[in-house]
Amino acid sequence: MKYFFLSLLLITAAAQASQALVEFKSPEQQALFKELTHELRCPKCQNQNIADSNAVVAVDMRAKTLELVQQGQNKEQVLDYMKSRYGDFVHYQPPLNKFTLILWLLPALMVFGLIVLLVVRRKAERNFVASESSDKTQPQPEQQLEQQLDQLIEQYRRKS
Amino acid sequence: MRKLAFFIPFVLFIALSVFLFSGLFSNPMERESSVLNQPLPAFALPDLQQPEKIWTPDSVKGKPFLLNVWGTWCVTCNAELAYLTELREQGVMIVGLYYQQPVDAAFGEVFNLAALQQEVALKLEQQGNPYQWNILDKDRTLIFDLGVTGAPETFLIDAQGIIRYHHIGDINPQVWQQKLAAAYQSLQE
Repeated sequence: MKYFFLSLLLITAAAQASQALVEFKSPEQQALFKELTHELRCPKCQNQNIADSNAVVAVDMRAKTLELVQQGQNKEQVLDYMKSRYGDFVHYQPPLNKFTLILWLLPALMVFGLIVLLVVRRKAERNFVASESSDKTQPQPEQQLEQQLDQLIEQYRRKS
Repeated sequence: MRKLAFFIPFVLFIALSVFLFSGLFSNPMERESSVLNQPLPAFALPDLQQPEKIWTPDSVKGKPFLLNVWGTWCVTCNAELAYLTELREQGVMIVGLYYQQPVDAAFGEVFNLAALQQEVALKLEQQGNPYQWNILDKDRTLIFDLGVTGAPETFLIDAQGIIRYHHIGDINPQVWQQKLAAAYQSLQE
């Protein structure tokens, strides 16, 4: 009985070893395959890359990516191949065109708006400070009253 | 000017709300197909029931038709068979492109053409047969070149073999009236 269970262990070990591994001609190709399967988006599932998904279309895209990479095609070529069939949607890096322009412009516009706001505020602050200091040259009614009060106090002290 | 600035956050909030609210009703599956207005990609695939007959872009074109991607394993495809059969009776030409799912050798699965032919014949007998003929795409090569994401999907092909419409999802009376009927009629002239 002991030997029976031991032999079962051996069977599972053999089965694991027989699992197919993808072979590449070079580490660069392997890296490219990994990069592409992480950047290409499964068109069926809403937000998974093809490395992550087991939908039929993702399995097929992975196989095609592997085939093209092993043929020696570069990243651009594989992406163009996929985009010509599944559209720009299929790549997680959207291209710059009239529909996606706002994605690039919006952050820049926001930073620009913020700078304009800061500059305007600072100018207004400076004007305010400047106007306050210029006001001090002309005595205000309150200051005049205070001066008068001071004078009265002085006079009173002298008398006493 | 001060008062106007006071309303800016309010206006921004309303704009954002309208944008997000409209997003609730948009269909994320809907997007521009990249094969539109392009000729059918090159292919040479066998007929499902008569595998000795090979279909090519040249042999399928000649008359506007619907190319319907389907499979017996696909529940929605089965649901649309009855309505497609109705369309066929109205004179619409429909060709089936059979979507074969991958055969997983690791689970001891093998592709059995005779069994598939029988299964398809039985299914069409029960549910109605909208197809003039079925093209078998065992390795999903044409399906891949057409940018098919799943089944069912339907393409409208004109007499010159140019793809005029790509519909993702099933065809029902509403979809046919709203999206495909007018385009199909205009191709007839």
